[in-house]
Amino acid sequence: MFEMLLIEGLAIGACYGLFGVAVAIIYKTSDVINFAQGEMGMVATFVAYHIMVIYGFPFWIAFPATMIFALLLGMAIEFCFLRPAKNPTVLGLLIITLGAEMLLMGAAGWKWGAEQKDFPFLLSIHKKYEIFPGLALNEWTIGVFILSIVIMTLLFLFFRYSRLGIAMRATQQNTNAAKIMGIKVERVFSITWGISSMIGAIAAMFFAARSVLDPNFMMEPFMRAFAAAVLGGLTSIPGVVIGGLFLGIIENFFGYAWPEWKPIVAFVVIILIITIRPSGLFSKHYVKKV
Amino acid sequence: MKKVVFAFMIVFTFLAVSTFANAAARPGYDDKEIRIGQWGPQTGPAAPWGSVARGSALLFNVVNEQGGIHGRKIKYFIRDDQYNPAQTKAVVKELVERVGVFAFVGGVGGACGLAVMDYLAENKIIWVGPSAAITDFVFPVKPYLFAVYPLYEDEGSILAKYVVEKLKSKKIAFFYQNDAYGKDGLKGAKKRLATYKMKFVEEIPVEPGEKDLSSQMLKFKKSGADVVMMFVNPTIATIALKTSATVDFKPQWVSSNTLSDYGLMFKITGGLWEGVITGAFGMTPTADHPLMNMYREAGKKYAPEERWGTFYLAGVVFADPLVEALKRVGPKLTRDAALRELNSLTNHQTIGPKITWTPKIHQGTDSIQIQKCGPNASYILLQDWTPNELATWKKK
Repeated sequence: MFEMLLIEGLAIGACYGLFGVAVAIIYKTSDVINFAQGEMGMVATFVAYHIMVIYGFPFWIAFPATMIFALLLGMAIEFCFLRPAKNPTVLGLLIITLGAEMLLMGAAGWKWGAEQKDFPFLLSIHKKYEIFPGLALNEWTIGVFILSIVIMTLLFLFFRYSRLGIAMRATQQNTNAAKIMGIKVERVFSITWGISSMIGAIAAMFFAARSVLDPNFMMEPFMRAFAAAVLGGLTSIPGVVIGGLFLGIIENFFGYAWPEWKPIVAFVVIILIITIRPSGLFSKHYVKKV
Repeated sequence: MKKVVFAFMIVFTFLAVSTFANAAARPGYDDKEIRIGQWGPQTGPAAPWGSVARGSALLFNVVNEQGGIHGRKIKYFIRDDQYNPAQTKAVVKELVERVGVFAFVGGVGGACGLAVMDYLAENKIIWVGPSAAITDFVFPVKPYLFAVYPLYEDEGSILAKYVVEKLKSKKIAFFYQNDAYGKDGLKGAKKRLATYKMKFVEEIPVEPGEKDLSSQMLKFKKSGADVVMMFVNPTIATIALKTSATVDFKPQWVSSNTLSDYGLMFKITGGLWEGVITGAFGMTPTADHPLMNMYREAGKKYAPEERWGTFYLAGVVFADPLVEALKRVGPKLTRDAALRELNSLTNHQTIGPKITWTPKIHQGTDSIQIQKCGPNASYILLQDWTPNELATWKKK
C-alpha cells in the first residue's frame, strides 16, 4: 500500500509540477500570475478532443496541431489582452488574466457545451508495464514521469544556456535594462506566453485523461498547481516540479489517513512553509532596495 | 419641462398600477389555456440537467395533442436560470408577475428551489415535482408544494438492503459527497445496515470539486470492500472508476439515481460504467411499456434532436401528477380545486413511482427501481418498484 500511495502521489504531483512550470515561466519573465492558465489548457484540450472525436484524426496528428494552437493561443492572449495595457500595475495585469479566464471558459461552454466528455488520450490508464519486479506502472504514469523530467531538463538548459532563455531572465530582472541591452522585450513576452501555453496544454491533457473534459475541469488542478509552484518557489523551475511532487505525496498520505481533510491539508502545509520561507523552498529571496 | 415630467409620471404610475392589477387578477388560466412554468439550466455548467425542463414539454405536447385538459391547452414556459439561485428568483418572478402562471413543475437544483420556495408559497402558486430531493421542501408540509423525487435517505436504505440481501455482500463501503445529498444517502444506508447488525467497512467523504481520488480508492481497496455504494456527482464518479481501475480495485459499484443516465455515464467513463448498479426514479428508457412506447414515439415527433435518456424522461415523471390532478378537477378549474385533487392523489403511477399525497404528507413516494448498466449503456431492470419500509416520515 505504501509504494502505491507513493507512486500515485508522485504521478499526480508530477502533473501538478508540470502545470506549475507553465505558471512559473510566465511569472519568471513578467512577474504576472496568469490566472487564465488553467482555461488556456482547457481550451487546448478541447481542440485536441475536437480534432480526434469530431474530425476523426488520430492522436499523433491531433497532438502537434494542438501544440501549434496552444502556442498561438498563448501569444494571442499576450498580444490582445496584456500588451495593450498602458503602464499596468501587477494587480492590473492579474485582473486582465482573470478576465481572459472567464472569456475562455464562456467560449468553451458555448462551443462544446457543459456536458462532460471522455478525452481519448494516447496513454492508457489501464495498460500496465512491470518496470521492476513487483512494480507495475500504467502508461499514463510512465508518460507523466518521463515528460516532466524531459520538460524540466529542457527548460533548465534553455533558461541557463540559450540566448533567448537568458533574455527572458534578463527581462524579468529589469525590463528597462533589458531593452537598453537590445532585447526585444515584447517578443520575449510573446514567446514566453506561447511556451507556457504549450506546457499547460500538455499537463491539461494528462489531467483530462484521468478525469473528465468539461469547461470547468482545470479550475481545481490550477489551484493545486499554483500552490505547488508557490511551495517550490515561483522562480525556480526544478523547485516548482519538486513542489508539485511534494504536494502530491502530502495529499495522498494525509488523504489516506484522514480523507475528510484531504482537500485542505496540502494548503495548510504550504501556509506553514511559506511562513518560514516566503519565497518558497527552492527560490532565492530577493530584497528590493527602495 | 415640468409638464413633460408630470406627464411621464402619470403614464408610469398608470402602467405600474395596471401591471400590478393585471398580475394580481391573473389566475394562471382561462377558458382556452393553463399556463405552466419551469426553470432549469439550459446553459452553464449544469446544462446537462436542462433536459428535465424539455422533457416536461414532451408530456404537455402529448396532452395538447389529445385535446388538452377539458378543452384547455397547456401553455408551457421554460426559463433558463443557469443553475444560479439569483437567476431562478428573477425568472420565477417574471413568470408569476408578468406571464401569470398557474403552477410550476420540476425545477432543477436544490439551492435554486430553496431560493424561490417561500416566494411561490406567498403567491399561492402550486409547485409539483421539484427536481431535487430536499427534505425542507416537504418537512414540514408546504400547502402548495408536492414532491415526487424519492428522498436520498430512502434510496440509501433500499440500495443497502439490495446489496446485503441480493448481492450477499458482507464488506460494504460508502463513498459520499460531503453535503446534504451524500449525508442523507449515508444516513439511510446506515439505518438499514443496523437492522442486519452490520457496519460499513469504510465511509469516505469527498468534496464535489476534487480531481485526484487515488488515496480514497486505495483506502477502499485496503478495507477489502467488495461493494462500494456512492452518492456523488458524475465527475467524481468518473474519476473514482478510472482511478480504481488504475490501482486494481474492482468492486461492485452501486450508485444513487443521480447517476442513472447511463448514456452519459457510459460515455464519460469510457465504458467503465458497464456493470454499475443504480437506483432509478423512472422506468428504464428502453422499457417495453405502453406509456413508454407512446412517449418514445412522441419524442421522435416533437423532439427528434433530444437524447432519449433518464433526465429527459424525468421531466415527464415530475410533471405528470399535476396533469392527472387537473384532469380530475373537471371543467370548473380553480386553484383550490386543483389543490384538493393533488391532496387526494392515491397510488397514481405512469412511468415513475406510485404517487400518493395527503394534506399532511406531500412527499409523494418512498420507492425506487434498481437498474444496471449493461453493454453499450443498455438498461437492465434488476428490481421493480421497491418501497422503503423503514421510512419514518410515512408514520407522521
